[in-house]
Amino acid sequence: MTTSTGTIAGATAGLAEAERERIHWVGYLFIAAFGIPFLIFNVLPVIFGFYVAFTEWSIFGAPEYVGSRNFEEIWSDPWAWQAFTNVLWYALCIVPSVTVLATLFALYVNRGYPASGLARTLFFSPNVVSATVIGLVWVWMLDTQFGLINHYLGFVGIGPIPWLTSIDWSLFGVAIASVWWDLGLAFVLILAALQDIPKDLIEAARVDGAGPFSRLRFIILPQLRPVLSMVVTLQLIATLRIFSQIFVMTGGGPAGSSASPIYYIYTTAITRNLYGYASALAIILFVLILLITVVQRVIFREVTH
Amino acid sequence: MKGRMRELGMTRGDVIVWIGGLLVALAWAAPFVWMVSTSFKFPADVMTQDIEWFPRRWTLDNYRKVFEYPVIRWGFNSLVQATVSTGLCVFFGAMAGYALARLRVPGGRIIFLVFLASLMIPSEVTVVPMLLAFIKIGWASTYQALILPTIANVFSVYIFRQFFLSFPREIEEAARLDGASAFKTFLLVALPLARAPMIAASVIIFTLNWNNFLWPLLVVFDDEMKTLPVGIAAFAPITGSHTQLEAFSVSMAAVTVLSVPSLLLFFFLQKYFIQGISQGGVKQ
Repeated sequence: MTTSTGTIAGATAGLAEAERERIHWVGYLFIAAFGIPFLIFNVLPVIFGFYVAFTEWSIFGAPEYVGSRNFEEIWSDPWAWQAFTNVLWYALCIVPSVTVLATLFALYVNRGYPASGLARTLFFSPNVVSATVIGLVWVWMLDTQFGLINHYLGFVGIGPIPWLTSIDWSLFGVAIASVWWDLGLAFVLILAALQDIPKDLIEAARVDGAGPFSRLRFIILPQLRPVLSMVVTLQLIATLRIFSQIFVMTGGGPAGSSASPIYYIYTTAITRNLYGYASALAIILFVLILLITVVQRVIFREVTH
Repeated sequence: MKGRMRELGMTRGDVIVWIGGLLVALAWAAPFVWMVSTSFKFPADVMTQDIEWFPRRWTLDNYRKVFEYPVIRWGFNSLVQATVSTGLCVFFGAMAGYALARLRVPGGRIIFLVFLASLMIPSEVTVVPMLLAFIKIGWASTYQALILPTIANVFSVYIFRQFFLSFPREIEEAARLDGASAFKTFLLVALPLARAPMIAASVIIFTLNWNNFLWPLLVVFDDEMKTLPVGIAAFAPITGSHTQLEAFSVSMAAVTVLSVPSLLLFFFLQKYFIQGISQGGVKQ
């Protein structure tokens, strides 16, 4: 009795083995359902975009091949320079703020105090609403005359700051709203990594007499390095793509002081109907994102080793 | 109180950090409270130096002004776009993720790497040529223009592939040995088991679609076909048609309407949001 069950079980296992070894051609059909829209809408536009970038093309006319003229014109276009300079400033403001605040918030929630679940919900919540909500709420919060921020800053003697209406401040106004919006993602990623740190590692350090700060410095932060690298990369890419909140809050103004590359691409295509020029700008942004990501990866690897 | 704190193993320093952190968390979400509070105020109570977190006088006038615009229609467009797009993306993503994890498909690894590599291409870069293409074929301001470019979100493939890689395959193998086809096994056996990644992928991708801004802004020229975020963005004081006095109260009512669905979805399905995001670490 036992032997025959054994034989049947063995035969079943053998069949399963054979099934695993067989090549499943039908798998390609499974992948194609996703792969075809992927090719058409994610890959093809990139190739088409490279072509458009070397033409002069408006919605009405036919494309006219112009070689590298678009790129040469961008080189001497002060508005393009300003948009690309602005986005570096955005990155300089937003990426460190998001990383540091998200780490602090995650360390706090990870302590597991009472109501830390509520704190987690509140810290993450701005991340789930759309740019329109972020933009309009912060236009109101940062209003020079009646906004909450200037109201409370007034208590500590800081005069009304024209957050969104002056050339010197508009970029910072938009950056504040962006930090509020973006932080949730970084926060959740860092929190998940904190929860993965083995408890006995920290306990052992405590037993060895390490205080909270040396535990943070020598145990926790080194363990967080991979996730911090990922957070910085993701946030950097997100910031280089900054658009919607600018569109809602300032319209790139005043005088282009808060415009970003995508904002400039938007006005070039939609307002000025220069699709070739807009595509060329997009390709420059693409290359910039690629370069920065690679450089940043290499730096983080150097630091780690 | 002091006794209880000690029971929880909290020192005085702990209590200070605990309360301080909670206050920061409350302040972090305060702009939402301010948004809702402003939306119920009379314009005269908004444009003042007196800060009233809880309105003294209430009005629904701001909401009435918001609904003078085709907000219902925009909401319907958003719902159609987000639902259809998320449904297709999750289903196709589940199929591809399943095949990549379970079926022997030569070159599957390379295909998956290509999917992942595409995350390096920001969608904003593909938007201009895509817009040009959609205008040229006469599909501007249509549902297919809103939906099609958003269905190939790699996050969906990724999350299902990870799930099936770490999930025992015995149940499916039994079904296959009973002679069920690969598709039938996937649809009737594997997919019902993949509830967790399905909900996580659905809520995250739905939220991304619901909040999507640049593409619907570009491809829709007809007011009736706008999505909710794009339609509501027109309430911005810099572009809006309201007087300066009522611009803020009306715009806060508009964004309250816009944010309530996302916030409710998040509060009820929080677990899946946070699991999904920390698993994927990908947001497009």
